[in-house]
Amino acid sequence: MLKPTIGIEVHVELNSKNKVFSNSINSFKEAPNTNISEIDIAYPGTLPTLNKEVLEMALKAALALNCNINKHMHFDRKNYFYPDLPKGYQITQKNTPIGYDGYIEINVQGETKRIEIERVHIEEDTCKSIHYNKETFLNYNRAGVPLIEIVTKPVIKSSEEAVLYIESLREQLLYLNISDVKIEEGSMRCDANVSLSDNDILGTKTEIKNIGSITNVGLSIEYEINRQKDLIENGIKIVEETRKFDDKSRQTILMRTKETGNDYRYFPEPDLAFVDLTDEYINKVKSNLPVLPNTIRQKYIEAGINNHNIKTIISNKDICDFYEIIFDKVAPELAANILTGDIIKELNKNHISIKESKLTGEEFINLIKALENNKISSKQCKDLIPLIMSGEKVEKLISNSSFQLITDKTELSDIIDKVLANNPVSIEDYKAGKDRAVKYLMGQIMKESQGKADPKTVSVELISKLKSL
Amino acid sequence: MTNYLSLSVKEIHKLLIDKKTVPLDLVKEALEKIENSNLNSFITINESALEEAKSLEGLNIDNPLFGIPVAIKDNISTKNLRTTCASHMLENYVPLYDATVIEKIKEKHMIIIGKTNMDEFAMGSTGETSYFGNTLSPLDNTLVPGGSSSGSAASVAANIVPVALGSDTGGSIRQPSSFCGIVGLKPTYGRVSRYGLIAFASSLDQIGPITRNVYDNALMLNIISGMDEKDQTSSEKEVEDFTKKIGKDIKELKIAVPNFYMGNAINEEVKNSVKNIINLLEQQGVKIDYIDMPYLEYAIPLYQTIALGEASSNLARFDGIKYGYSTEETLDIDTFVKKTRSIGFGNEVKRRIMIGSYVLSGKNADKYYIKALKLRKELTNSFKKVFEKYDLIIGPTNTNVAYKLGVKQDDALKSFYDDLLTIPVNMAGLPAISIPIGYNSEKLPIGMHIIGNYFKEDVIYQLASYIEENRGDAKC
Repeated sequence: MLKPTIGIEVHVELNSKNKVFSNSINSFKEAPNTNISEIDIAYPGTLPTLNKEVLEMALKAALALNCNINKHMHFDRKNYFYPDLPKGYQITQKNTPIGYDGYIEINVQGETKRIEIERVHIEEDTCKSIHYNKETFLNYNRAGVPLIEIVTKPVIKSSEEAVLYIESLREQLLYLNISDVKIEEGSMRCDANVSLSDNDILGTKTEIKNIGSITNVGLSIEYEINRQKDLIENGIKIVEETRKFDDKSRQTILMRTKETGNDYRYFPEPDLAFVDLTDEYINKVKSNLPVLPNTIRQKYIEAGINNHNIKTIISNKDICDFYEIIFDKVAPELAANILTGDIIKELNKNHISIKESKLTGEEFINLIKALENNKISSKQCKDLIPLIMSGEKVEKLISNSSFQLITDKTELSDIIDKVLANNPVSIEDYKAGKDRAVKYLMGQIMKESQGKADPKTVSVELISKLKSL
Repeated sequence: MTNYLSLSVKEIHKLLIDKKTVPLDLVKEALEKIENSNLNSFITINESALEEAKSLEGLNIDNPLFGIPVAIKDNISTKNLRTTCASHMLENYVPLYDATVIEKIKEKHMIIIGKTNMDEFAMGSTGETSYFGNTLSPLDNTLVPGGSSSGSAASVAANIVPVALGSDTGGSIRQPSSFCGIVGLKPTYGRVSRYGLIAFASSLDQIGPITRNVYDNALMLNIISGMDEKDQTSSEKEVEDFTKKIGKDIKELKIAVPNFYMGNAINEEVKNSVKNIINLLEQQGVKIDYIDMPYLEYAIPLYQTIALGEASSNLARFDGIKYGYSTEETLDIDTFVKKTRSIGFGNEVKRRIMIGSYVLSGKNADKYYIKALKLRKELTNSFKKVFEKYDLIIGPTNTNVAYKLGVKQDDALKSFYDDLLTIPVNMAGLPAISIPIGYNSEKLPIGMHIIGNYFKEDVIYQLASYIEENRGDAKC
């Protein structure tokens, strides 16, 4: 039977302050060709210098991906002609990638699987070509933007695994705070190599270049597997070629067939000295790594948070950062429910991130505690959320009479009597042993009290009244 | 017309201190000499040199090179001053920035007179590959001045300037200095920042001073040396005063002469001249041994592989898109780049790019380039071993003296052989000087090569200066 084998190469733009080999600002937002220096446009006589911040970010990635580290590493030149390549070569790492033989763990249908990573290396981005009206314009703001390339071994067995790998990799990098890893915006770029074989020898592979979203990683690989299967089953040989995924037709399309192997004339970059990474330095970086998603996930599972909420929290780093602050200060399950429910709803409504809202950890804790201690009802909690997110204080809000729960028994008794009088059918149901009736009546009482009745007291009072009827 | 610029830097400095002359007059003299010269040793004159000299009036003469006119090889980047590499490709290229050595020169208030002629992209050893026409030797206009720093060497030898900067990848400072009978030093690799030096072969290139005497040379090295954050291959090694050992006793020096340097490939008159110096030194009690050094004989193929491999990559940036020459035709990008490079580069440059691309290409990389790197390491170790026992290595700079213009034009390989004795030094990254030690029977100068251990330029100058003072009737 034909089985697919997939290998994935990912390029990630690092968010260092400066470019990898010059002091230019590493930012792509400004007007074209403003964040550039004589080094980025490869003026004659200029030399690269390695940015230490980039080195540390790359090391973080390599360590987080469980790689061995090349302690004596250097850079290499990859030579080819293309208008977007200012020097006529790209500075990259061929022989001594900063990290090698690492892995990342994914969870495939309940089973943990290791996706082995062959290498993590540092390289520079090219400038950006913009084609317009038969002309090509070049924006050198991107020239020299630091990249790391992460290459898996050919160990991925399905499109599902591929998607899980990309999601997990993206999460790790996001939590390292070294990139904004936005695949749609190009700060994370993904190429997949796909081949089929019915034995242990890998079949001829095709490469799908620059897949534009995580969903498309799954779709394009699935399409490619089926395309190759059809060809092979019809006796047609697979040709080594580069393809791209077309969003509209949801097909992979031929870009070019590979000719007799690219000749990049690699050789060691003579303009940069060898870099020696001491054990002391590596250990320092290692010990300062932030807590990574897999560790966080484990902690949440143990705290009894449901899977859906875990996924929601971890996939949004800002939310997770917020949740981490309050995690051990309130009931975590309740807090997770409120955070992933009403809070996110409110954020989405206003199109802001949690950082941009005025919600503080402290007020959130106050809110959850008020709810836990029955100072407010769930309904009131919902009502309070927009207010505290615009900067108001929980204590002040609930001291206001309209938010105070009614705990006074005589006052509650009047409300209960009124509801009972209006719902004779429910009383009959209760007598007939239907538990639903109590819930319904509770609901009616809360409604009658505009959500202010203290549910605990109501519950006790209601049952005793029903029993005495 | 005054002739102060035929004096040493030390003497000119004294004239400036004593107010017998001013920088403006020195610049005028230099410009006048260029005007009257037929050597074609300059490609571009610094039009603001007079103004710069004027602006020095009244300033404190705070260093020995203050107000001294200097000529710069045209592969060193000078802000707002055309830098052509003697190539059609950069005929109209004006840099946006100064090379680190230029910043240092300007800090010391030296005055850049102009940019000197050279072999195109420093590829050649006669000066004849220049797009701007060859430089003539001031000794005899039918001879080559040597190269690739031909204009710098010729200008110094012709007393147009007392100092010039050259660059040396396989002998490009030492060989023309030897042919012109002057002093040229290639510093230890990493001693001088390469930032702003338009690269030929990055792992071999080094900027160095060309002067008429040893002391001036050391003065110039003093100001251009030092670690540069813009060049990660520059050394953190402390920069001492390179003149400090000049005049010190040389008796304790232990010197090696590799048999290879006195072998069959070397002209007899050149060897005899070197032997005279050896005798002179031995008479002083200096211990000199003839030694066998392995791997020296591989220097030329090593150079052809490593230097040309690197060059093929370094010159890839000249594609007509960002600066320099570009064909004005509207073409698809591949044709555009091909046409630009076909017209922009001269034949020698093209030849070297092709050889360099070939040795790095596919399986050739293992066969040639990787093997060459291993061999380079062996050659380096071979030098290191010698320096465990000896302070200096001496021999001739070149296999022969200057030859007629045109004789090596028809043989692409021949000019590499000029560098037979100089290339090994670049391969190992060591410092070495060429100093004049006498003439052959046709009255052409002979150069002697003194190679030092890493960062021991001061010891090189110590011996060089002794020989300069004591070579007696052989004096140029």
